[in-house]
Amino acid sequence: MDKTRMDRARVLKNILWGITGLAFAVAITRFTFGLGATTNLTDGVPWGFWIGFDVMSGVALAAGGFVLTAVVYIFQIKEFYPIVRPAVLTAFLGYVAVVLGLLFDLGLPWNIWHMIIYWNPHSPLFEVGWCVMLYLSVLTLEFLPVPLEDQPRWSKIHDTLTKFRIPLVIAGISLSTLHQSSLGTLFTIMPYRIHPLWYSPILPILFFLSAIALGLFMITFEGHTTTWIYRRHSHRDMLAKLNRATPWVVLTYIVVRIGDLTIRGQIHHAFTTDWHAIAFWIEIGFLLIPAVLTMVKRVRRSDGLLWLVSFLGLMGVVVNRINTGGVMHTGRGIGAYLPSWTEFAISFGVVAVAGLIFLWLVEHFNILESKPIDEENYPEVKPKFDNLSRTWLGLPSFANRARFSLSFVIMAGVGFLLLSGESVRSSGVEPEIALPARGGDTLWVDGNRDRFGVSFHHAAHVVRADSLYNGCATCHHLNLPGDKNTECSSCHRDMYSATDAFGHDWHANSNGAKLSCSECHPQGEVRQAETAAECVTCHKDLIPAAVGERTLLFDYPVKGYLAPSYADAMHGVCLECHYLVAEEKQDVRFQQCSFCHSEHPSFVNVGPEEYPTSGKVIVPLDLGETGQ
Amino acid sequence: MSVHVPNGAAILTDTTKCVGCRECVVACKKRNDLEPDVPRRWSLDDGLSARNWTSIVEKELPNGDPAFIRKQCRHCAEPACVSVCPVGAMQKDPETGAVVYDGDLCIGCRYCMMACPYGVPRYDWDQQVPYIRKCILCNDFLKEGKTPACTDACPYDATIFGTREEMLAEAHRRLEENPDQYIQHVWGEHEIGGTSVLYISNTDLSFLSYGSKLGDQSLPATTKTAMGAVPPVFAGMAGTMTGVYWIIKRRMKNQKDSDSTTSNPGDDNNG
Repeated sequence: MDKTRMDRARVLKNILWGITGLAFAVAITRFTFGLGATTNLTDGVPWGFWIGFDVMSGVALAAGGFVLTAVVYIFQIKEFYPIVRPAVLTAFLGYVAVVLGLLFDLGLPWNIWHMIIYWNPHSPLFEVGWCVMLYLSVLTLEFLPVPLEDQPRWSKIHDTLTKFRIPLVIAGISLSTLHQSSLGTLFTIMPYRIHPLWYSPILPILFFLSAIALGLFMITFEGHTTTWIYRRHSHRDMLAKLNRATPWVVLTYIVVRIGDLTIRGQIHHAFTTDWHAIAFWIEIGFLLIPAVLTMVKRVRRSDGLLWLVSFLGLMGVVVNRINTGGVMHTGRGIGAYLPSWTEFAISFGVVAVAGLIFLWLVEHFNILESKPIDEENYPEVKPKFDNLSRTWLGLPSFANRARFSLSFVIMAGVGFLLLSGESVRSSGVEPEIALPARGGDTLWVDGNRDRFGVSFHHAAHVVRADSLYNGCATCHHLNLPGDKNTECSSCHRDMYSATDAFGHDWHANSNGAKLSCSECHPQGEVRQAETAAECVTCHKDLIPAAVGERTLLFDYPVKGYLAPSYADAMHGVCLECHYLVAEEKQDVRFQQCSFCHSEHPSFVNVGPEEYPTSGKVIVPLDLGETGQ
Repeated sequence: MSVHVPNGAAILTDTTKCVGCRECVVACKKRNDLEPDVPRRWSLDDGLSARNWTSIVEKELPNGDPAFIRKQCRHCAEPACVSVCPVGAMQKDPETGAVVYDGDLCIGCRYCMMACPYGVPRYDWDQQVPYIRKCILCNDFLKEGKTPACTDACPYDATIFGTREEMLAEAHRRLEENPDQYIQHVWGEHEIGGTSVLYISNTDLSFLSYGSKLGDQSLPATTKTAMGAVPPVFAGMAGTMTGVYWIIKRRMKNQKDSDSTTSNPGDDNNG
């Protein structure tokens, strides 16, 4: 290897180790604090990025394996043989990624083995699970001869596995067919949930077709990437030839998809301006552009362009899987979903782990035609100092390990740093600033719900309660145990009972009325209530003149010291005049209850202009301050 | 037509009678020993959560009055959740017809939450060992001959309990008796194959599912074709591949025999 140029593999591995470190921190948090703290999933969106990307796309990305084994071993087009091993390895690692991703997404991952013994054959997910298990085993057996081939000790196993290659390949293809399509079956049970542009009863067929297209893209992408990383000889001719099939597979998929939408009369959703339609066309565009470009021979024969084109195609299918898997779900209450950074970290971490295993296997076994790095024959180099620390890190292989560990540890630290704090500990409780309640200034209090009540001037009470008593808590007990409503009578104690309205001590006190005893109690008499002077002696206007000597309602004497209760006092004040007017006009309506307490639920609504007489009538409640 | 459990338990909720007192919610929480709950990041606005298995949602009637509608698991005749659970943790009780959940089997895939057209199952998002939580129709009590806590608690008989046949008859009786008071539809009679929890109302209750109106086809039927195709597809694919392999191999061999001077590059053993 040319040591003066940048070691692309090392830089890439450094990045991958860093991502793994970040994912490690998130993984610990996920299992400590649960899914709620590390994902943006909700009760409305229970599947998100981990399912859409790790599971659905992981499986789809593995499609290269079954496509190429079919081409090479079944159709026996042997010229593609050099790229079949990396394709099988990619498929194998794709499935490892699926299982790894699932372990994070499942709520109870330690129960994953339940699928083996507790069966529900009606469930598409049951089928998916079994396909993953079986195909992972088949892929292991398909791939195992590679690491075993140069080991004399294992030659027997190697030979046996090689003998069974064709049956294994056929089992692999059949399982893949089922598996790719059953990922579509998963979603056929959600016709009311998935947006009509993504829902289809033939989702299994669509998923299978797009998986084949993705297989071709993936082989191309992975082939050109490894070539670039290790600066190897390019399989340009081979990949160019393979990609002659790409446009036809992709176009078949697009035609079937749009045809299906058209036949079922759902295509009109694609010609709207909402973002679902836009996302649909972006998805189609991601596939259509590579399909058209791979028809051009110049594109197929250019490493860079073909890499880019296959990457676009990959994105097209991956976006389709993510959209179907959770993003394009509509309906009341489902709500919007955008993955959190922790979800991205885990997903990319899983990919990074798979990538590291891939690179390790490529460097240690004959995956490509020859090993890209010959570790045993490292060229003799002078000790080279690390750029940053100015220390010698050891031999190249050891120095790399040190660097990778450092990336891992630093990124894990960054991860833990980002995860500390309220976001994780509060576990989804939304902080909200408590604001003072804003009710109306005047409330209509109707305690027994008979549509008769009083208008309660809340604003005025707030002012008084704040200055005199305990503020809001005077009436509102802030949900203490045994709480109940505060009745008006708890302050207005004279509301319902006849009360001694005369404050004797106040009249006698030097800070009060400052009266001497004799001013009320005549000299020589026994000092008692009966013999004392009447209130009207001093308070000349205590009782309205119109009332005169009459006895008020309910036989409460106007004379004396007992005040009528609040309700009776109100009645007394009004009714006196009403009786007079009724007598005067010879109209009984004026003294009927309903004259004021009309069926209309509000006593308040009796406005002054509705009163038949002049200024003698007291407006029962002052509406002037309520702002109405 | 769908198959209902004969004499299965059923609940009829008459939303015109509900005054929204939430006694049912409290009774449910007491009987099932559910912890207090506050709205969380992952909560939906319908009040259901892992700790609230039933809730009252309000909807405004055209005249401005509120209608109170009790949400709970519908206990479908052919439940999507039961059909999709890969390990059979969701089961329909063959005696009572209640859809019940066994947390010991659950693997936490949340497919039931995705599949339920009413969005009923909820998740313990804040737990390290999370389970699916939803109304189980007080199934243990049903088996002892008792009735669900919610219907017991209702002070206005807005939600009543009986067999499905009785409840359907009662629903139709009320619709006939006061045709002006109701929309002439029993929600849950036919939708997605019928449910054990039925509603009659003076307002459209289609909003209890994901927005769109549900059809009469049961949801498990939508995956039936694809699942039924699994064995033939597997066998067909394996057969086709074997056939193709054999034919191509034979053709190559014939070509080799006829042209023995060239060697077949495919027969080398590098792999």
